[in-house]
Amino acid sequence: MKNRPLWLNLVLLVVLAVMPLLLSSYGLKLGSEVLIMAIFVMSLGLIIGFAGLVSLGHAAFFGAGAYTVTLIGDHLNNTYVLLLAAILVSGILAFISGLLFIRSSGAYFLMITLAFGQMLYAIAYKMEDITGGVDGKPVLATFDLGFGAIDSRLTFYYVTAVAFAASYFLLRVFISSPLGKSVRGIKENESRMTALGYNTRNYKLVVYTLSGMMAGFAGGLYSYFNEYISPDLLNWMFSGQALIMVIVGGVGTLLGPAIGAGFFVILQNYISSYTERWPIIMGLIFVAIVLYGRGGIIHIVSLIWNLLFRRKNRDQNMQHKEGTGIDSSKSGTSV
Amino acid sequence: MSVTTLTMHLLNGLAYGMLLFMIAAGLSIIFGLMNVVNLAHGTFYLAGVYIAYYFIGRQFGFWLSMLLSIIVVAILGVLMEKLLLERVYGKELEQVLLTFGLSFIFADVVKWIWGTSPLTLPVPSGLDVSADLGFMIFPAYRIFVILVGCMLAVLLWYMENKTRVGAMIRAGVDDRDMLSALGINIKVVFTCIFAFGAGLAGLSGVLGGPIMGMYVGIDSEILISSLVIVVIGGLGTWKGAFIGAIMVGVVDTLGRVLFPSFTMAMIFAIMIVVLLIKPNGLFGRGAHA
Amino acid sequence: MTLLKVEHLSKSFKALNVLKDVSLEVREGERHVVIGPNGAGKTTLFNCITGTLPINQGTVTVNNTQISGLPAYTAVGVGMSRTFQKNNLFGSLTVEENLHLAINACKPYRFNFFKPINKFTDVLEETEHLLKEWNLWDRRDRVVNELSYGEQRLLEVLLALASKPKILLLDEPTSGMSPAETIQTTKLIQSMPRSITLLVIEHDMEVVFSIADRITVLHHGEVFLSGAPEEIKGDERVKEIYFGGGTLKHA
Repeated sequence: MKNRPLWLNLVLLVVLAVMPLLLSSYGLKLGSEVLIMAIFVMSLGLIIGFAGLVSLGHAAFFGAGAYTVTLIGDHLNNTYVLLLAAILVSGILAFISGLLFIRSSGAYFLMITLAFGQMLYAIAYKMEDITGGVDGKPVLATFDLGFGAIDSRLTFYYVTAVAFAASYFLLRVFISSPLGKSVRGIKENESRMTALGYNTRNYKLVVYTLSGMMAGFAGGLYSYFNEYISPDLLNWMFSGQALIMVIVGGVGTLLGPAIGAGFFVILQNYISSYTERWPIIMGLIFVAIVLYGRGGIIHIVSLIWNLLFRRKNRDQNMQHKEGTGIDSSKSGTSV
Repeated sequence: MSVTTLTMHLLNGLAYGMLLFMIAAGLSIIFGLMNVVNLAHGTFYLAGVYIAYYFIGRQFGFWLSMLLSIIVVAILGVLMEKLLLERVYGKELEQVLLTFGLSFIFADVVKWIWGTSPLTLPVPSGLDVSADLGFMIFPAYRIFVILVGCMLAVLLWYMENKTRVGAMIRAGVDDRDMLSALGINIKVVFTCIFAFGAGLAGLSGVLGGPIMGMYVGIDSEILISSLVIVVIGGLGTWKGAFIGAIMVGVVDTLGRVLFPSFTMAMIFAIMIVVLLIKPNGLFGRGAHA
Repeated sequence: MTLLKVEHLSKSFKALNVLKDVSLEVREGERHVVIGPNGAGKTTLFNCITGTLPINQGTVTVNNTQISGLPAYTAVGVGMSRTFQKNNLFGSLTVEENLHLAINACKPYRFNFFKPINKFTDVLEETEHLLKEWNLWDRRDRVVNELSYGEQRLLEVLLALASKPKILLLDEPTSGMSPAETIQTTKLIQSMPRSITLLVIEHDMEVVFSIADRITVLHHGEVFLSGAPEEIKGDERVKEIYFGGGTLKHA
């Protein structure tokens, strides 16, 4: 039982590595998009599920990363520097905004992050000279890790797969680290954490900044992937979709948000090829999930899993849920 | 910029502020009392203006269309509250998901029916003239909107402070359990408040139609401005919504003229400053921050 | 020497004065118990001392460091920690995880985010030590919400002890416990080393008199009397406050 995360991780790696054998060229492209979105949504899942900070402006950091790569990329074509810059810029933005917002909580935090994201959106939208305004901007920088430009879909898929795996393992370590545990404790019971001597605001700020950096990293990758960016990447609609992906996948888990991202990107792709009415369908899915979802895909999957394989030791399961973070975080959002 | 142009922009800003006030007031009281962030509140505005457009197109005339539109939107609000929101009280994430999804659906339905090109409502006859204010000429309709906004503010202020309903709402914003302790049927109060807020937003939509036009996307613009107003003004207070709306309306209108790229940033900066000085907003009562 | 010094502390909620010019001294190693009828302001006093609530007037000094006006989390840094009247735990975490959090609070590596917390051997050792000492070792894997009330009450104290405080503020440690649990807990409190100074709020007079070196009576937000247990026991006015003239026994 104790090494379930370990073999889960192995399965994950194998799936990531074998996927290209099963996918068409278009499937590879979709796969890359899913993985990039998964990194972004995991970063949001971190602050929502583990720190209890429900943000509706997380696209700000994704977009900041994307714009950083694109705008600096016009002048400097070095993938390492650009991605690092994307992480840094988003991190700084997250740090400064967090410094201002983190003392608010619940719905207030939600509204303020929303407004912050819209501010960046409006700036990108209006500053046509630099950002290309509403029409967006092509990405000139080429993806090159020092072995020549990477333009095959297969290679880029593996790049995103490595980026995803690295982000996932980083987060896995993070949530079991002293800082990660503390953040979880703050979500669970902030007043006790304060009484224990934690300056809770600092902890939230650190995790918010880290999450922003990871979102910026995803955004940077996205510019390379899409070769074109627009202010929509900063829009609250995008933030909202990411939030939905977290919730659909399962709040309070690491992989849940990634699964939610996959579910939505693929579904959107599929449905959009049949109808233009994707927003209505997506909206209906949201409503259905609220009314019938009960905690997201990963909870449903683990429920089925437990029914099939774990019937005998239900007691132990109760505890195990703890260890993997699949638990009651839904009820824990405070206002 | 001459004094006359400045005055004109200020009046325009005031008119815009009044439209925002009508939305933010409902949003704020719904948030303060029911603890629901209604991300579909912009939808009521959108619904208001498009439904009025439908009726005006059927020769109902502006005022009757306005009335019908408000009624339809209020009913929409009741349905939404009774059928959906009621199930997720106290569950913040679910509320966000639900209202966000609804705003997606409605925006797309509007797009489906009326297309994406911007439309506009005609200015009602009688008000489609320019009023001579003595020192400048200004569209009479906008002055009308400002007057309606001010009258509404006085009305709401009166209701809040001088009536039993107002006292109930104030008590409820401070302490929700108080209402049930007083033997008041919370469910009915919530539904009424929600319908009232929806109707107000619908009214704002109809009145705003001739000024701002109508297009898909205006709902989220309006929603976000209103959320900022609620944060600035404080939860659950008409007064906060009023002052906040005027601030945002004027700054937004002036900003669009003076520094178009940074209008939103300016509004945001105001919000940050207010939050740093008064975490509960200018007139906030609750300990929500 | 005086470890905790509260001087002229006042606290009001709007028009309601809950604490009026309260002064209190707790000497190192002392077991100081605060008693008083319901609504006397005892818990508010704790909240003000620890900085959980902002105070209107007065100063709080711990170990010669003034902490009044500072945020609540700083209290632990000067060696003061507290428990709560109502269990205030991490209900969905295990007992062990609860302790990890409590121990981690004062470690230099508390911001570390790239090494699992259960790889830090000192955290594990301290957890084991505390849990064994307080008879909760066999409960370590249990989710706190599944523990019995008495066990949760013990954990409440344990979390506060984890930071190795010089002074520990216990807010009604035995409240809600069965008589047997009360006796057990009283023994555990009595057996705490004198290196830990105790300031205790307690209602159960048997517990009060079996642990107290010194007692302060709080009444209507004011210090009514402060003295050795014998003085308090014999004071007619204290009996008056409590029972309108009855005997000073179970409250």
